[in-house]
Amino acid sequence: MSKNKTLTKKDQMQQDKAQDGQQMLVDFTRPRTNPMANVFDGLVRFCQSRSMFMLHYCTGCGAIELPPAMTSRFDMERLGIQPMVTPRQADILLITGYVSVKTLKRIILTYEQMAAPKYVIGICSCTVNGGMYWQSYATAKVLREYLPVDIYIAGCMPRPEAIIEGLQVLMDDIKTGRAENWKRYFQNYDYYLGNQQKLFGDHWQTPTDIISEARHYDLITENTLGKHTALLEKHQAPLQALEMTLQQNRERV
Amino acid sequence: MPLVAFTVGLAMVLMLRKIAARLQRRIGPPFLQPVYDIVKLYSKDTQISHGMIHEMGIIMAVGGYIAAETLLPVPGMDGLADKGGIVTLTYLLMIPQLGLALGVGQCANPNGSIGISRALTAMLAYDIPFILVVFGMSWSYGTTNLAEMIAIQQQAGMQSWGIIQMPLLALAGLMVLPAMLGKQPFEIYVAPAEIATGPMVEMGGKFMGGLFVMQCFQLYTVGVLYTTLFLGGGENWLSFLFKIFVVVAIPMSIAFMFPRYRTEDMLRLMWKWPVLVGLLGLAVVMIQV
Repeated sequence: MSKNKTLTKKDQMQQDKAQDGQQMLVDFTRPRTNPMANVFDGLVRFCQSRSMFMLHYCTGCGAIELPPAMTSRFDMERLGIQPMVTPRQADILLITGYVSVKTLKRIILTYEQMAAPKYVIGICSCTVNGGMYWQSYATAKVLREYLPVDIYIAGCMPRPEAIIEGLQVLMDDIKTGRAENWKRYFQNYDYYLGNQQKLFGDHWQTPTDIISEARHYDLITENTLGKHTALLEKHQAPLQALEMTLQQNRERV
Repeated sequence: MPLVAFTVGLAMVLMLRKIAARLQRRIGPPFLQPVYDIVKLYSKDTQISHGMIHEMGIIMAVGGYIAAETLLPVPGMDGLADKGGIVTLTYLLMIPQLGLALGVGQCANPNGSIGISRALTAMLAYDIPFILVVFGMSWSYGTTNLAEMIAIQQQAGMQSWGIIQMPLLALAGLMVLPAMLGKQPFEIYVAPAEIATGPMVEMGGKFMGGLFVMQCFQLYTVGVLYTTLFLGGGENWLSFLFKIFVVVAIPMSIAFMFPRYRTEDMLRLMWKWPVLVGLLGLAVVMIQV
């Protein structure tokens, strides 16, 4: 247990500020004047913290610690945490272990399809700083540069106790309304997109229209739009339905 | 009555999850977990809709069951039970699946389409023995009125219960139960690891919440229907609740004993054994009468 450190959001925000000064968290939560509304919000937040559906993106070695955390030994379901299989249903995106450049594309696609409020948990040292893959040319080292991460659970690999403790920290954050990192993706989209473009090339685009979504949530800041989003708009191709190829294949055979 | 159904259904969902957890030697979810889940799903900020029919489908799925609840007699409240009858109820029970099919169709997700085609095939599989059972019971009681059926069964205590009078039909009904609930050996249309929960693949937020509510109603409806047909309905709320919880607990308790059936195997199984037993039961009923 002592080896595994659970980085809370506060530590992470301090690191953020130290490393990239242009990021900031703008607080859009309006003060509610109606006391009943506060009670209602508190109830909703409590339910959100007690019912978390997680989508585990298990391409790294940390995945091996999840089955014991879910099954009879440690039983995550007693905390209301259940595995789910599609991004539409999930609240938490668990990323276990190192993220290769190819994998990261899928992670970003998955993350953008999830319904807000959504939380990202980086498990293992590799998501924090690249870990033992630091010198690899094909690995995205710092996950936080591409997605807003709510909780890091460091360790190589963290034990199930540490994973559950990390999830409990996230539960506390949700309950107190501090876990609003998903808003940072909209507020600082230009920064995240810039890092993504640096890795995937200028033609990188996802099917989800993040800027319209940010407008919908009223989360547009001066950091949402910038030179990277301008580049995206220049290259952006409209989405098209996939061609039906069943018949063609049959002819070929 | 729908409100009663929802509350009891929530407790049933909790019970099923607790049974599953206990069988796997886990502790299981806390007491209010089904409520947390539903509140959380309805309070999501993003609600991804794929269009009008997607939303209508969920409304049909939940609405079909709510309509069915009004036809189910509970102790002290008959509702429309003596007017609607079991034939109307059988029709209403098909609406949720069809509504779900409509809604999933608009999502245009291949996993969803595979899932719903499997779900409708499953419905075809379990509806034949189910109709046989319903037909046999109505023939035996000489009425399609659910309230009258309960009255007939309550005349002479446990001796006049359907399960004692017509054990073969009761057995066929019991075989159909897990398939109607979509429980373990027959959950190929959900198949989380293979087709990503099938019909539910594009459902997030309030849509998923609607389906969770639907599940509560589904468990309640199936439990009450079996109790009404075979276990003499409810003399009072205590025995009524005890009976429906036992009925719903049976399929879950044996769920993990079997591996999952493929769709065609399920069809074969459903059309062979429950139909055979049901037909035998029907023959017995007709000879007796």
